[in-house]
Amino acid sequence: MNSELINQLSLGANGLPYTIPIHPNLVHLTLGLFIIAIAFDFVGVFFTLEKPIFKFFAIKATRSGLFDVGWYNMLASVIITFFTVAAGFYEIMLAQPQTGIKSAWGLEAMETMLWHGVGGVILLAMIAGMTVWRGFQRYIWRKETPRQVQWSYLLVGLLIMFLMYVHGTLGAHMAGEFGIHNTADNLLRLGQDPNTLLK
Amino acid sequence: MLDNLLPPLNEHNLPYPDTIHPIVVHFVIAMVLFAFLCDIIGYFNKNSRLFEVSWWNMFFATISIFIAIIFGQIEAGLAQAYDAVEPVLNLHTIIGWSLSGIIAAITAWRYVIRLRDPKTIPVSYLGVGFALTILVFFQVYLGDELVWVYGLHTVPVVEAVKEGVL
Repeated sequence: MNSELINQLSLGANGLPYTIPIHPNLVHLTLGLFIIAIAFDFVGVFFTLEKPIFKFFAIKATRSGLFDVGWYNMLASVIITFFTVAAGFYEIMLAQPQTGIKSAWGLEAMETMLWHGVGGVILLAMIAGMTVWRGFQRYIWRKETPRQVQWSYLLVGLLIMFLMYVHGTLGAHMAGEFGIHNTADNLLRLGQDPNTLLK
Repeated sequence: MLDNLLPPLNEHNLPYPDTIHPIVVHFVIAMVLFAFLCDIIGYFNKNSRLFEVSWWNMFFATISIFIAIIFGQIEAGLAQAYDAVEPVLNLHTIIGWSLSGIIAAITAWRYVIRLRDPKTIPVSYLGVGFALTILVFFQVYLGDELVWVYGLHTVPVVEAVKEGVL
């Protein structure tokens, strides 16, 4: 967004109308919930192998309980991710990154931001698709099957986690290298001293 | 002498590409908050299935917080905390270590509750869960300040420290 438009708003030193960016906080929830959902489905699938381990530690575990985690965590992940993406687009529209530098992956700020924006929408669609797929397995296709999830579902889950790693690293570059919405970085760019101003 | 044994540090002042602590804390923050949500919904809807989901999420959060602390300590040690950051980093460190004990204790309590009767949850547990949620929110806020306000491990701040500007 051009700076004249951004200047229509009264923003802080971090380029936002509030001190802490919201998107990176919602990301904790999206990723944590998604990854644990897939992880517990794996634990559920290999339940027969793990039974002696649970017994050894005297931890009561049922297969259906583990699959409950796989389902409810995925459901929570998709709900929160709509907000993660919304907050991300709000904050990306206000971004005024450092120019003339390249990230560790050789991309400039604009490329990084565009890929991260497009990637976010694609990941949201994938998480939504996974939730629907998981719901069908749980309530219709495999309702009576002890192993509630298909191998293909777990495989796609792993693939999405890899995309999340790539996507997350682009996000990390936006924060840690281009200094987007970072108060201290922006103060340094303006030639001011964060040490005295942020005391 | 020890310097030659350590891996070289990059422009984030880290021996690996990007910070790891903020990734590991996904599995503490998301799991603790979701566990509390499941307890509340499960309590009011009398859905004991959600109690099971809550327990496993707390179980995982307990393992994760120790890994989060290990990386937190490594990255705090390499953070080149300038004067203004120090009080925030100290508080984040103290609460982080405390949370490992608190979360482990709450999960242990939950283990006993679940062993005795997995279908119900005492109100006192919900109260403690609520207190934990507040504490986690505060801890996240402090961590956010370290990254987003003070810019620890971001390239411009690391550069400024190296050049002696900060």
